[in-house]
Amino acid sequence: MPARRRIRFQRWFSPWLLVVPALLWLAVFSLWPAINTGVLSFTNVRTLTGGEFVGLTNYAQMFQDPQLRDAIVNTVLYMLVCLPLLVFLPLLLALLVERQLPFITFFRTVLYFPVIASAVVVALIWQWLLDERGVVNGLAQQLNLTHAAVPFLTDRWLLLFSAIGLTVWKGVGYYMIIYLSALGNVRQELHEAAAVDGAGLIRRFWTVTVPGVRGTMVLVAVLISVNAMRIFTELYILGGSTGGVGGQDVSVVMLIQGAGSGANGQLGYASALSVLLFVITVGPMIALARLNRSADQ
Amino acid sequence: MGVRSRARSPITWSLKNDKFTPYFTALIKAFQAQHPGTKINWIDQPGDGYEAKVSSQVSSGSLPDVVNLPPEFAYQVVQAGGLLDLSKNIPTLTQDYVKSGLNAYTYPGVSGTYGLPWYLGTDVNFWNTALLQKDGLNPANLPKTFDELVAQAKIMHDKSGGRDYLMSRPPGILDIYNSGTAMMSADGKKFVFNTPAAEAIVDKYTAAFKAGYLPADVLTKSYEGNSALFVKQVVGWTTGTGNYIQGTAQTNPTLAKQIIPSPAIGTPPLYVQGISVSAKSKNLPLALAFAQFSTNNDNQVNFIKLAQGFLPGTTAAGSSPVYSKSDGTPQGDAAVIAYASLKTAVNVKPAAWTDAMDTYLAQQIALAMTGKQTSKQALDNAVAKSNQLLGP
Repeated sequence: MPARRRIRFQRWFSPWLLVVPALLWLAVFSLWPAINTGVLSFTNVRTLTGGEFVGLTNYAQMFQDPQLRDAIVNTVLYMLVCLPLLVFLPLLLALLVERQLPFITFFRTVLYFPVIASAVVVALIWQWLLDERGVVNGLAQQLNLTHAAVPFLTDRWLLLFSAIGLTVWKGVGYYMIIYLSALGNVRQELHEAAAVDGAGLIRRFWTVTVPGVRGTMVLVAVLISVNAMRIFTELYILGGSTGGVGGQDVSVVMLIQGAGSGANGQLGYASALSVLLFVITVGPMIALARLNRSADQ
Repeated sequence: MGVRSRARSPITWSLKNDKFTPYFTALIKAFQAQHPGTKINWIDQPGDGYEAKVSSQVSSGSLPDVVNLPPEFAYQVVQAGGLLDLSKNIPTLTQDYVKSGLNAYTYPGVSGTYGLPWYLGTDVNFWNTALLQKDGLNPANLPKTFDELVAQAKIMHDKSGGRDYLMSRPPGILDIYNSGTAMMSADGKKFVFNTPAAEAIVDKYTAAFKAGYLPADVLTKSYEGNSALFVKQVVGWTTGTGNYIQGTAQTNPTLAKQIIPSPAIGTPPLYVQGISVSAKSKNLPLALAFAQFSTNNDNQVNFIKLAQGFLPGTTAAGSSPVYSKSDGTPQGDAAVIAYASLKTAVNVKPAAWTDAMDTYLAQQIALAMTGKQTSKQALDNAVAKSNQLLGP
């Protein structure tokens, strides 16, 4: 009987069979590299030569590395500035473009354009704009706004904030789309009821819209903080492989890349830096999860 | 000779680009015709990620039998036991190839030679005569020393109101070498370039930078470079290979007519590309034969006709009039200067020098030039970091 045959094929392991490909993928490309990174961080292995167990030497070396302090300051500051900007700006933009107005699809598309563009290409364009002899400085000097070129790419903080500006400009469209779908779930009646009670636009934003999309905001915040902690391309292109003048604008990922690349790359030390990056990335995620849980209670 | 082995399994050969595909196709065809039954598998590996690709080949034991490696990278592969000592396998090595090229593949503390010089390059100075004259400089009196260069950079800066530059590159290991400083100890076991002479040259650059004789963004690696600024006619001096003027004539004929060459200031740098043989090749005699075939005088001279601006790494090429007699034009002068410079050119980059070390040195020098530390601190830090990166 067909029904009996179907039952015979459904064993206890049948669901596991379905997830085996995904589990294998996860084990080979995520779990194993993560475990291996942890193991390598206790060795002095290099790209072409095998290493040996060196205990906590790499970690001790890491905390004596004068560039690490700059890298952590840059990376954390980058995250702290990007986080509020990329949590709220896309939400405000989503509120603007969710309205059904003429040409609104055109504006949504334009706002999404930077997301599609390659990060490297965008960073190169920004470099061309902000260079000492670039378009921005040229215009500023022609309009007599400045007498000397503004050192966007050679001043430590201006370079960092230029990279933040690039990240925000490029990322705002992506998070706007996420918010657009979340705003569809905020009940219109709540807005109408609040309006009847005399709540203005700003009051309704904080008391109706924000609570309505709070789950999405937490998700967006987590995505932003993880991405910001891994900042590389923007700083690498704008500041060059030196990480700006004197390496003052290096990020943790740039340090990892510098330590681990090349035929004589210090894979053990780069692994220790990766473990550190993992630890400081997990911190904000836990904080955001707790924040969300306490808001729920 | 190894050619008699007639191996059936493929020989692989890595190259950085496919710009010269017809040349390589003909080269392989000619070799296969001389060695019937041989099949050469040419793997073209683009320059981007080349080091990572070859590193993984070394780690996995799949390094091609014959491979194009620059000297610094070959050194890393030698340390991993990946390359064959060619001095033990090619009796005529020192007669066939130029000494400076072979020296680049001979490493301190390691016996043997690990690459056949394939094509060589050096720097020639190029000057924009129109820009020099506009800014009060005499093209007949070009700088021959670093101090003269700084003095003329001041004149150009003052006359142009700071718009034009003569100097437009930060100090690096070539400047350290030209200060009379050795990068490494004689045994090649540690870096020792933190000398008073090296500090003095960094101090001179710092003074010039603070006076505004160099562009402010010269201290980052995102800087567009002195070559790009030379083409934009913001900078009056650049360096290039012997055919730089011909190359410029194709993109900017007006500028090309204004350029004159002169020999490099100080010791000219030597740039070398070579062909190495894998120590684990299963077709060793044939691999050696192919490495020699691809770098013999005829094939190198033919290759240089395509790769203009470079010079062959064979001793036989030295007798060619092409490289010794100028036709009187700036282009001809540049070609002759380039070949003459090869005789004194030095590969100043130690084999153990890596990109990470170079980046750190650039960072430290930049901190010194912006007044955040002294030149002594910069060089001490760079030496300490380089020795740490060098490993045990």
